[in-house]
Amino acid sequence: MGGYLFSVFVLFAWVPHIYGLWPIPRSLETGSVALKLANSFRITANVPHPPSDLSDAISRTVGHLRTDKFERLVVGRGSADSETIQHARELKSLTLALAPGSPVRSISDEAILPIESRSEEYTLHIPSDGSAASIEANSTLGLLRGLTTFEQLWYFFDGQVYTLEAPVSITDSPAYPYRGLMLDTSRNFFPVTDIKRTLDAMSLAKMSQFHWHATDSQSFPLVIPGFTEVAAKGAYSSLMSYSSKDIQDIVSYAGARGIDVLVEIDTPGHTAAITESHPEHIACSHASPWSQVAGEPPAGQLRFASSATANFTANLLTAAAKLFPSKFFSTGGDEVNTECYANDSQTQSILQSTGQTFEQALSGFMQTTQGALEKAGKTPVVWEEMVLEHNVTLSNETVVMVWISSQHAAAVAAKNFRIVHGPSDFFYLDCGAGEWLGNDVSGNSWCDPFKSWQKSYTFDPLANITPEQSHLVLGGQQLLWTEQSDPSNLDSIVWPRAASSAEVFWTGATLPDGSPRNVKSALARLHDFRFRLIQRGVSAIALQPLWCALRPGLCDGDS
Amino acid sequence: MHSIIFLYVLVLVPFTVSIWPIPRQLSTGSTPLKLSKSFNVVVNMHSTPQDLLDAVARSESGLKSDSFERLVVGRGSADSTAVHRALSLDALVLSLDSGRLIRSVADEATVSIASRSESYTLSIPARGQARLVANSTLGLFRGLATFEQLWYTLDGDKYLLNAPIEIADEPAFPYRSFSLDTARNFYPVDDILRTLDAMSWVKMSVLYWHVADSQSFPLEVPGFPELAAKGAYSKEEMYSVNDVELIIQYANTRGIDVVMELDTPGHTTAVGFAHPEHVACAGKSPWAKYANEPPAGQLRIASNATVEFVKRVFQSVLTMMTSTMMSTGGDEVNLPCWEEDEETIDVLNKRNIAIGEALNEFVVAIQGVLKANKITPFIKGDMILTHNVPVTNDTVAVVWQSSADAAGIAERGLRFIHQPSNYFYLDCGAGDWVGNNILGNSWCDPFKTWQRAYSFDPYANLTEAQFPLVLGGQMPLWSEQSSSENLDSIVWPRLAVAAEVFWTGGTLPDGTSRLANNVTGGRAAFSRLNELRYRLVDRGVKAIALQPKWCVLRPGECDVDA
Repeated sequence: MGGYLFSVFVLFAWVPHIYGLWPIPRSLETGSVALKLANSFRITANVPHPPSDLSDAISRTVGHLRTDKFERLVVGRGSADSETIQHARELKSLTLALAPGSPVRSISDEAILPIESRSEEYTLHIPSDGSAASIEANSTLGLLRGLTTFEQLWYFFDGQVYTLEAPVSITDSPAYPYRGLMLDTSRNFFPVTDIKRTLDAMSLAKMSQFHWHATDSQSFPLVIPGFTEVAAKGAYSSLMSYSSKDIQDIVSYAGARGIDVLVEIDTPGHTAAITESHPEHIACSHASPWSQVAGEPPAGQLRFASSATANFTANLLTAAAKLFPSKFFSTGGDEVNTECYANDSQTQSILQSTGQTFEQALSGFMQTTQGALEKAGKTPVVWEEMVLEHNVTLSNETVVMVWISSQHAAAVAAKNFRIVHGPSDFFYLDCGAGEWLGNDVSGNSWCDPFKSWQKSYTFDPLANITPEQSHLVLGGQQLLWTEQSDPSNLDSIVWPRAASSAEVFWTGATLPDGSPRNVKSALARLHDFRFRLIQRGVSAIALQPLWCALRPGLCDGDS
Repeated sequence: MHSIIFLYVLVLVPFTVSIWPIPRQLSTGSTPLKLSKSFNVVVNMHSTPQDLLDAVARSESGLKSDSFERLVVGRGSADSTAVHRALSLDALVLSLDSGRLIRSVADEATVSIASRSESYTLSIPARGQARLVANSTLGLFRGLATFEQLWYTLDGDKYLLNAPIEIADEPAFPYRSFSLDTARNFYPVDDILRTLDAMSWVKMSVLYWHVADSQSFPLEVPGFPELAAKGAYSKEEMYSVNDVELIIQYANTRGIDVVMELDTPGHTTAVGFAHPEHVACAGKSPWAKYANEPPAGQLRIASNATVEFVKRVFQSVLTMMTSTMMSTGGDEVNLPCWEEDEETIDVLNKRNIAIGEALNEFVVAIQGVLKANKITPFIKGDMILTHNVPVTNDTVAVVWQSSADAAGIAERGLRFIHQPSNYFYLDCGAGDWVGNNILGNSWCDPFKTWQRAYSFDPYANLTEAQFPLVLGGQMPLWSEQSSSENLDSIVWPRLAVAAEVFWTGGTLPDGTSRLANNVTGGRAAFSRLNELRYRLVDRGVKAIALQPKWCVLRPGECDVDA
């Protein structure tokens, strides 16, 4: 018999362990045993008097495990695993427990603790023999984070919910406590249901902060007790405003999902909408040409040199602060336009009569407003210009948001302020959609190009920061300014890109196997996350043709 | 004493209508008018085609269910007194010019592109009955679309402020289209139907369906069920024969012709999932050497068996169509793919021909199938400009790489449609979708804004003698980064720009140039497009916001020079 020499070339696709966890845990071990959820699968909280929001979180997880119906992203989808699932052992239960001595507080309470004292770490163990899985944490917030991880481990096929990677052993905690998303609800309005859906998606990526840029020059949708006229006249309509009840609804919905709501009332710029109710407080209101006195139309800024205006603003902020249980409160402070005030005779006469410079008056205004916030028990948050461009006195506790450029973080750190990264060159979700101003045929967006998920994902929170300064970095966020967005495209412009920074700030620089975090291995997991969002009704955008999503690595630039 | 300088902006509120695309001839008055409670549309025609009756019923129900309030500060309430006092319009009466043949909208929408009749006149007096007259049911259908855009809602009343209105309208170009790629990612039938509805509201005349590509082959082809069975992403992500029939019929009855594109010989890797024998360099790595994007793979054009196979596939797809037009594609063929393919090399050596000759023969063979069936062939511009393949004289070229390519096609005397990537590509500007490319941007950066697209001149660089070669144009959505989730938001309202560029043409009804300075300002096209956007949202199409609502309510105040 002649011998046949078969030379068989088989392409072994590199199958990543843990297909879909996003953000990927800090420490992770997996096996290769299939396990499926028993029909009787249940989650038990081994917690005395479990807070109702923990019980609700458990119910949501049990519900999602049944309704996600997400088939694994491989050629053939779930059918590829059909045989394996048949013979898989069954997992009957997951038990949640707090570490001995841990206080039992609601998730909502844990989520709004001062940012340095939040406890989000957890451990998760899933044995391969079908015996009970367990999540242990030091707080209910940690248990919630563990439940979120647990939800992402499972795939669906033909009525079965399964994993291929038992046993699973995870020890996890965030690299940074501030993992946020900013939404502007002033340029265009977003109904409460849109915000809640966004909070659900944020929670799935373990995000911890919703930065609500609630008001701006175009509209003032926030109804503030004692100042109801501001929204009554400054909102687009009564239907396009957030009542106290709406705010409470959003805050408690967020809190139960481990998310703190940092509200921003931007001052003294970005306030033209206040002129509708209080023209006496607004300089250069609706002035033309707008481009001489404002970053965008309409022009108008608080007449901060006026003590009446400073007091009005401080009282407004104090009243608003009561609506939000968060420790954080932002007074904004970006893009103050000096030309607006140079042309405002009232400002000029006040400066002359008091003998103050522009900067001195601004510092006085800031002390009044920041003082009011501190009295209300809040930690003030400001945009970077307040420390980098203006000579104003701020409390050491102030948190500074870097937005103009990632290059500016170092200067903020040099002044020893805590930092939230939101640089336009990495994290602005609105960039790249062209000019929205009329009569500008060849205009592009000011922060071109579009920030792809890859670009955001490569952000280094510690670039140009010394090891001694690294404690100043609280984390960061992606931001949606809404000149060209509204409910029609909220999901598609935000998701899944906003999840990039969630992993940057949860996982940190290193993958669980010790290698550097990188876009090549992240893509398959981000596809997984995107398809999970869709299963939950979030219209996240496609990152690639489905052909590529089913074949990790084959659509890389170098493959 | 303070000396206070107030800078007031005087707002000029244009009381023109906000019709999109704006009619060729238009005069308006300033009398408020509302629809009477008993308002109805009357068709003054014996044996009215069913699809016209259906269109009338949709118009009547659209007028009732639209809840769109006029875009001014205070919205509809600003008009409350005027509406209260307005006289009523009792009916809209539709009729054909005497002696015209009565054919269905669908039949009129699929006659040859050169002989379609879309003109109409619409006359709305200050009270009484409005009249809509046309030469065809298709013209009546276009007039209904105009009529629907005239009305605003307040407290259950439908009103306008500018009666009497006289409109005489017809398109500048017959071909006004959207090209949809359903291969990179799949779109359910419902998404396509919703898109067709929105297209019909802006009088678009063609859906150019880029149905298959290298990533998937979702089209069920009679006699070749294996193509979709193995080439579609899944059996849920394919278009059955019934789906295709539904889509075409839905389109045709809305005045839209469906031009199918089977892209050949490139962009065909997915054919190889069922027929590996017909595809060269399938899945070959590195893809960047053999294709513009992954996965690599092209039809084995030199193989006689492959040519015969492709001819039979085209012959079969033709049976599903109602159009007189079909595209054989032809973009981005990659020579190294064939040059390293052993089967192809063998054939070329045996016949002692070069690959270019094989390509010529392939195109002639496929175009031959279309010709035998009296179908007008479309082909991508690079087949002519780059590969210089011989095409039939009635071929319509799709100019896509650059707007500058149009002149080269015109020099050859071929008809063409404009689809320039530097003006009309809806997908540009969303970053690179290829993995492991951190700083990559989209190849056709930047994003094409509506203003950029609006500034397109269909006659640029053409001689007047060449003008008749321009059939119109289309905006394409390539779907590498799009799917059902963002279809509406990436397409609308930008697609409507193509509708106006090719309906209204170079001149606005007041005689000024559509390409003049200031036309994209808030006191001109921008306010009308904002209105269209809000009307689309009102009808369930998730069109994107073009500006903060503050700007939308104050036309002109957010212009760059305001």
